[in-house]
Amino acid sequence: MSLSSPGASLPEAPHAPKADVCLLMEGSYPYVAGGVSTWTHDLIRSHADLTFHVVALVADRGARRLAYELPPNVTGLTHVYLQDPPAGWRWQPGTARLVAALEAPLGRLQQGGGLAEVAEVLRLLAPRRGRVGKRALLNSEDAFQMVVRMCRAALPDASFLEYFWGSRALMSGLFATLLVPMPQAGVYHAVSTGYAGLFAARARLETGRPALLTEHGIYTNERRIEILMAEWLFEGGDTSLVLDRKKRDLRDLWLDTFASYSKACYDACDRIITLYGGNQEFQRRQGADPAKLMIVPNGIDYAGYSQVRRDPEPRPPTIALIGRVVPIKDVKTYIRAAAILREDIPGLKAMILGPLEEDPGYVEECRTIVAHLGLEQTVVFAGRVKLTDWLGRVDAIALTSVSEAQPLVILEAGASGVPTVATDVGSCAELLLGRPDEDPPLGPGGAVTPLASPLDTARELRALLLDRPWRERCAQAIARRVAQSYDKVAIDRIYRAIYDEHIAMPTRPTLEQPGFHPSGAA
Amino acid sequence: MAGIGFALRRLARRDDLLGVLQGYAHSAFITSGPWMFTILALAGITLFGRDLVEMEQLTQFRVVVIYNFCFSVVLTGPLVMVATRYLADAIYAKEVEAAPGMLLATLGLAYAIAGLTAGPFYPLFSGLPLPVMLGGLANFFLVCGIWVVSIFLSALKDYLAVTVAFGVGMAVGMAATLLLGDRHGAAGMVWGFSSGLAVIQFGLIARVLAEYPYPVGRLFDFLSYFRRYWDLALIGLFANAAVWTDKWIMWFAPEREIVSGAMTIYSAYDGAMFVAYLTTLPALTLFTVNIETRFFEHYQGFYRDIQKHATFDQIARNHRAIIAALLDSSRNLVILQGAVCAVCIFLAPMIVGAIGLQYQQIGMFRFGVLGAFFQVMFLFCTVILAYFDLRARNLTAQLVYLAANGGFTLLFSRLGFPWYGYGYFLGSLVAFAVAYLMVADAVRRLPYFAFVANNPSVR
Repeated sequence: MSLSSPGASLPEAPHAPKADVCLLMEGSYPYVAGGVSTWTHDLIRSHADLTFHVVALVADRGARRLAYELPPNVTGLTHVYLQDPPAGWRWQPGTARLVAALEAPLGRLQQGGGLAEVAEVLRLLAPRRGRVGKRALLNSEDAFQMVVRMCRAALPDASFLEYFWGSRALMSGLFATLLVPMPQAGVYHAVSTGYAGLFAARARLETGRPALLTEHGIYTNERRIEILMAEWLFEGGDTSLVLDRKKRDLRDLWLDTFASYSKACYDACDRIITLYGGNQEFQRRQGADPAKLMIVPNGIDYAGYSQVRRDPEPRPPTIALIGRVVPIKDVKTYIRAAAILREDIPGLKAMILGPLEEDPGYVEECRTIVAHLGLEQTVVFAGRVKLTDWLGRVDAIALTSVSEAQPLVILEAGASGVPTVATDVGSCAELLLGRPDEDPPLGPGGAVTPLASPLDTARELRALLLDRPWRERCAQAIARRVAQSYDKVAIDRIYRAIYDEHIAMPTRPTLEQPGFHPSGAA
Repeated sequence: MAGIGFALRRLARRDDLLGVLQGYAHSAFITSGPWMFTILALAGITLFGRDLVEMEQLTQFRVVVIYNFCFSVVLTGPLVMVATRYLADAIYAKEVEAAPGMLLATLGLAYAIAGLTAGPFYPLFSGLPLPVMLGGLANFFLVCGIWVVSIFLSALKDYLAVTVAFGVGMAVGMAATLLLGDRHGAAGMVWGFSSGLAVIQFGLIARVLAEYPYPVGRLFDFLSYFRRYWDLALIGLFANAAVWTDKWIMWFAPEREIVSGAMTIYSAYDGAMFVAYLTTLPALTLFTVNIETRFFEHYQGFYRDIQKHATFDQIARNHRAIIAALLDSSRNLVILQGAVCAVCIFLAPMIVGAIGLQYQQIGMFRFGVLGAFFQVMFLFCTVILAYFDLRARNLTAQLVYLAANGGFTLLFSRLGFPWYGYGYFLGSLVAFAVAYLMVADAVRRLPYFAFVANNPSVR
């Protein structure tokens, strides 16, 4: 089966059959490989008896190749072209009135509005669906004059050129998301906020079916980083340090708009799921109802990994960093920690298990440090390996990343009885030390260290390598924790229960019907 | 997750807006330049040649020159417009290495056009004596060549070189025409005049090659522009045809002269119209100066400030400044041209007498002066349209002029002699009214056109 054709052969809404679950994917599955995409692919395959419709929110109509072969229970694939909404008619009566009516809710969506605004925009667009599109909403003179008025009202001192392109890009995405035909499904499941979340809000309002959200990373945070890093773009604005900014500028236009979409999504969804506790704080701060919040971590194949046997052959004490050799993993700190550790354990082996192709420059820098520190006999770049072959021969794992969400290696190593020393990022602390609500408390499965601290990393690794009872206590604790909370079989059952519950829910009044209430509660 | 990265990247690619500047419309002047040049050349020769050669010889010479000028300018019009745009873009992008190759290619194409049109026409249909016929053929190639070489100098804005080349060439041509005409009649005049044109053409070629000292290459790169700017090609064709269409129709009037073979002409009408058009010289000069100074400054400021992150209020201020500059200039132009026009209409009998036209031409001359008034105003409108790169509107305007000038002239030529010239006047008036409405509308909505309607990066 070729990887480029099957996607094209799947029906798009409204021609696709009604699915049990409609997954809303922004810039990921099935075209871009990565953590979220792999998770989604597994989710679909784990629920082979449910049918799925995938909505892929992508930039434009450019040709693209599937990164995943879609499982047979995917019954439809609808595309939303965020930068290229449907064209619609060029001339139609009432464009001026429509644009005038849209102005207020659109303006509020650019400054922290929410579900009520999305509902208002949908209500205005609904009677003209199929006819209204880019030509009337973005390219008409009425639309241009609206952009002018919005700019003068919200950011009178901003570069109009940037406001124009910025608001155009934002509105393109909004209209593309709101105008595409709606696939029919029992439950709508967004795998991020942003435009996928906006789509979930729309689905909830238009179909009356429940909506779910699983946030792996916090979308608005990621956008914030992206936008601040694109500072060179906003050269007309104030480029001084972020903390010093007082006036609202174009960056706020972007950030506030995405915050509005997130808020609309949180309000529309019945469940707001994330991988670990740290993310919930962000969700609460973005206005998510605490009653809807829920943690469902990613699971691993506990049964498989727990089969890994300790290699009885005599060997030197061995540590390993498992991951791609790229800056975000901070391999340099790991190498420096290995150098400190070797002072006490001369025969130490420090493995680096992971592909070397992604950032050859960084690999080269790492090798230089190895040579400088005289670690050629200690540090081994093993490249991509089959993890289960190695876990039996490793005494402790080190994870020095500067950023992680929920690293699966801690769980995979843990299931096979290998403790980990990890930096305090993402859910590492939760995985290694247990969630506050863990019952009964299982104890530490390793140790957590500050970022970029070779000394701390070396100290904790030394403790694991040299203090055998401590190492065994940690190994047991982490293995039990994985079995209890991170077994994929159990996680799949949790999602299955969530799906079953929501698919069985009665359809609530929609936007057009009496009894409708824009907040998620029926 | 690939979030808004693509949107931000797109935001960075926004320099298309400045592309409007490339729309830079010197090409528009090309439509008035050759026209004026034709009239001046003919006027000079007629003025001096009258007493030297017999009427029949002079008429033969005149018909060759008029045919060559009008058909060459129409036939090379598309080539000239598209090549001008290509060159202007290349100059804007500071990539003019292709210019020498392009010069040879455009010359080659112009000669090919000449060979394919005049090539069969002269031997088969002109019925001229062999020396005149061959001279006419050579003359046609030279005129075609001049039109395309002029592109390079007008894109360079090298007005001095153009003026010098034309001045020297016309002086040589005039002298040679009179000298040879005296001895060899029409053939001598045609060949003499051609020698002057040869001076112009080769002088300009030399000037261009000196300006672009690059190796010859990428000869036909600019041909890709024909697909992209097919509308410009049509503008080049229709604009020139529109200017000549009333003359062509009048060549079928009952009073026309059959000079030789298929070559007919109506000198009384042509002469009156040519002289009438000369009354626009002051306005043309004033307009060129105005465009080059005040308007262009505001025009550039408008787009430059947008690129430099102006607020909308600043953009609106610049917009108002453009409108004010245009209103100001057009008021001055209307007053100047109106005064010239009024004086010429009142003093028509005296003027006609003074320059040796016949008194029957007074009526045509008066209509001609009025028509020229609106024709030149129409020209100014299309120049503004070209500056804002509103090609669809420009093409529409040219088509309206072609249709109106042709249609009204046809209609009134049937009504008899007293109505001759009325069609040209009415056609120019209608075309001006249409073009004016299109310009006024576009200028009023300029920000919308700049950002959305006429912005190539907005799809």
